[in-house]
Amino acid sequence: MRPGRPALPEWIRRLPEYLMIWVPLLLSAAHLISFSLWTIWISFTPSTLIPVTGWVGLRNYSAVLASRNWQIAFDNLLLFGGAFVVLSAATGLILAILLDQRIRGENVLRSIFLYPLAVSFVVTGTVWSWLLNPGLGIQKLVHDLGWTSFRFDWLIDRDMAIWTIVIAAIWQSSGFAMALFLAGLRSVDADIIKAAQIDGAGPVRIYRRIILPSLWPITITVAVIQLQFAISTFDLVRALTNGGPGIATQLPALVVYDLMFQRSLLGRGAAAAVLMLLILLAVLLPYAAWRYIQRRRAAHA
Amino acid sequence: MPITTTRRRLLAGSVATLALPAFARAQGAAKPRLTAISQWSAGSDGAAITALGKKFEEKGGVWQHSPVPGFTTEMMNKLRAQIMAGDPPACSQLKGPEIAAWSKIAPTVDLDAVVAAAGYEKVVAPDLAKLHKPAGKWIALPLQIYSTNMLFLSKRALDKAKADKVPVTWAEFNDLAEKMKSGGVNHPVANGGTRPDDGQKFEAALGGISPAAYRAAIMNLDEKALKGPEIKAAFAQVRKIADWMDPNVGAQHFSTNLKRFIDGDMGMMIMGGWAQGVLRNAGFKFEDFVIAPGPSDNSKPVFLLNADAFIFWQRKEADLQAGQTLMAQLVMDPAIQTMYSQITGSIPVRTDVDLSGEGWSEGQRTTAKALKDAIASNQAVLSMAHNMAQENGMTAAMIDVITEYVKNKSIKPEQAATRLAEAVEGAR
Repeated sequence: MRPGRPALPEWIRRLPEYLMIWVPLLLSAAHLISFSLWTIWISFTPSTLIPVTGWVGLRNYSAVLASRNWQIAFDNLLLFGGAFVVLSAATGLILAILLDQRIRGENVLRSIFLYPLAVSFVVTGTVWSWLLNPGLGIQKLVHDLGWTSFRFDWLIDRDMAIWTIVIAAIWQSSGFAMALFLAGLRSVDADIIKAAQIDGAGPVRIYRRIILPSLWPITITVAVIQLQFAISTFDLVRALTNGGPGIATQLPALVVYDLMFQRSLLGRGAAAAVLMLLILLAVLLPYAAWRYIQRRRAAHA
Repeated sequence: MPITTTRRRLLAGSVATLALPAFARAQGAAKPRLTAISQWSAGSDGAAITALGKKFEEKGGVWQHSPVPGFTTEMMNKLRAQIMAGDPPACSQLKGPEIAAWSKIAPTVDLDAVVAAAGYEKVVAPDLAKLHKPAGKWIALPLQIYSTNMLFLSKRALDKAKADKVPVTWAEFNDLAEKMKSGGVNHPVANGGTRPDDGQKFEAALGGISPAAYRAAIMNLDEKALKGPEIKAAFAQVRKIADWMDPNVGAQHFSTNLKRFIDGDMGMMIMGGWAQGVLRNAGFKFEDFVIAPGPSDNSKPVFLLNADAFIFWQRKEADLQAGQTLMAQLVMDPAIQTMYSQITGSIPVRTDVDLSGEGWSEGQRTTAKALKDAIASNQAVLSMAHNMAQENGMTAAMIDVITEYVKNKSIKPEQAATRLAEAVEGAR
């Protein structure tokens, strides 16, 4: 503060800070809560083209749950969510460990691995849809090189198509996992590692017994972020397979969009959206509970 | 935020006060203005609506078109948002049974007087007219007609098959496809991988096998017809077609593969007449392909009708109302319909337009004749894949079954027929 000026009261001086934090926070909370409540309400009404009042009980829910589209979408979500979270975390961890070897050009490599995150999912989906297309992409390339019995036609194989989405999603976001893991690796206490080295532990043993266990909190964070991302995946599938071949790669977000805007069944679409919210809560609530227990433990320790 | 709004309102208010004398003078003869939304932004569709706008301006109007590129549903989302905000466009693209459904959620303009003055009713196919006056009054106007089951034949593929005869029945179609296959055409049936594309294969099959069964099952949703033998036969034919298609197209639009069709790598395409506009727009010549009515087992053309239309939403502003009248008159004008269809490759809604002159293609003449013959033999039906036969929800439920069947060759035709009947039941 400059001399010669009367000191402002503390709360006035800090007013900009409060406004910066609280106004946006309250606004987004209000939006989130009001729109969620609105969607829940719509899901119990007979709304079709536009929202209308009325009460149909759980009819929209039973219609969605009974539809083939939703059943396929839910199975796909389990498969895609599980595979994507595990594989992208594993890829990210491996990349992080390799990058952590004090190699030259680390900054450049880190940017390269992180770069896919800067590309929108629609672009990722479109690019991969060309790469994975057997008539244009990787399969054709290998055929043209002379290996004509090579087959890689997952994109058009309705049992394997869901894995093409996993591949594209991993390409997109394993860099993100890598960045988090790298930060974790760098924060492991160097003294403990040195002590272990003096005791004669090899690198494998050090990773297994010291470094990886200390990465647990980061692994959980990565998994939760990726899982909620998996649940809300829309643009990637829309661009890559658009739910096809047929309806083999439906995901819940696609079903919601389809019901609301393609079929003009707002009530059913809202019901599907609420079901998605419930799936999300099934992931987030255990996570919140885990965090709570962790904090309690830390406080008691 | 609230501050800006108030200021803007204040500003608008003062401008309005200043402009009041001018407004009062203009009331007598409001300059026609039209706010319109459609999905047509690019290619031949975009060119056609731009040309329509030019004509509108030539007549002294102010043309405000906001295209929403993509599928019809994307345009409908904008329409929905505008209606809910209480600010519908003066006119918007909308077609089929959706006209009836949407007209219930916002007031529409009664066009009866303008239509009567133009004597339009006499020159529109009765089935089509019905869709545009759902409660007995004209509230929408059809703009152009397509048949979704036109058969496009690649000249080079025909040469490879050493064939020159255009197939008329499904048996002949299947023969030709076999010949093409053995003549070196990789994929005798050209295709895209989108849902409507698959739907079109099915409706062309069923319509060609039995227009009566099509009408009963798809248009009237008759339960017995939905489980009838014709549906199974149609699914069996679709399986044959699917075996000749390129499975690698993924979710691609049909137009992605047009070059392969022209080159003779793909042989025959079952597509709407709009493909003619797209082909021509892509620089291909009429010598490269032949257009014929889709296969029909009784040899008389079956016309799967798809018509683009405009619906008119009620507005209080005098200039918009004047714009709506002008637009309605233009849409019904034979000269405008001629101009529009010549750009897009469709045929005019008016049955009294002469297509023998300059500017019309052989394909368009064939299409117009097919429509005339189909109406005469009661074989003009409404397209399911393009939302003319049923509302979106029902259409989507049917296409779910069809598209899964096209892509999953382990589903039997009988199974698919059962699933179709179940899907219809579930969507009712």
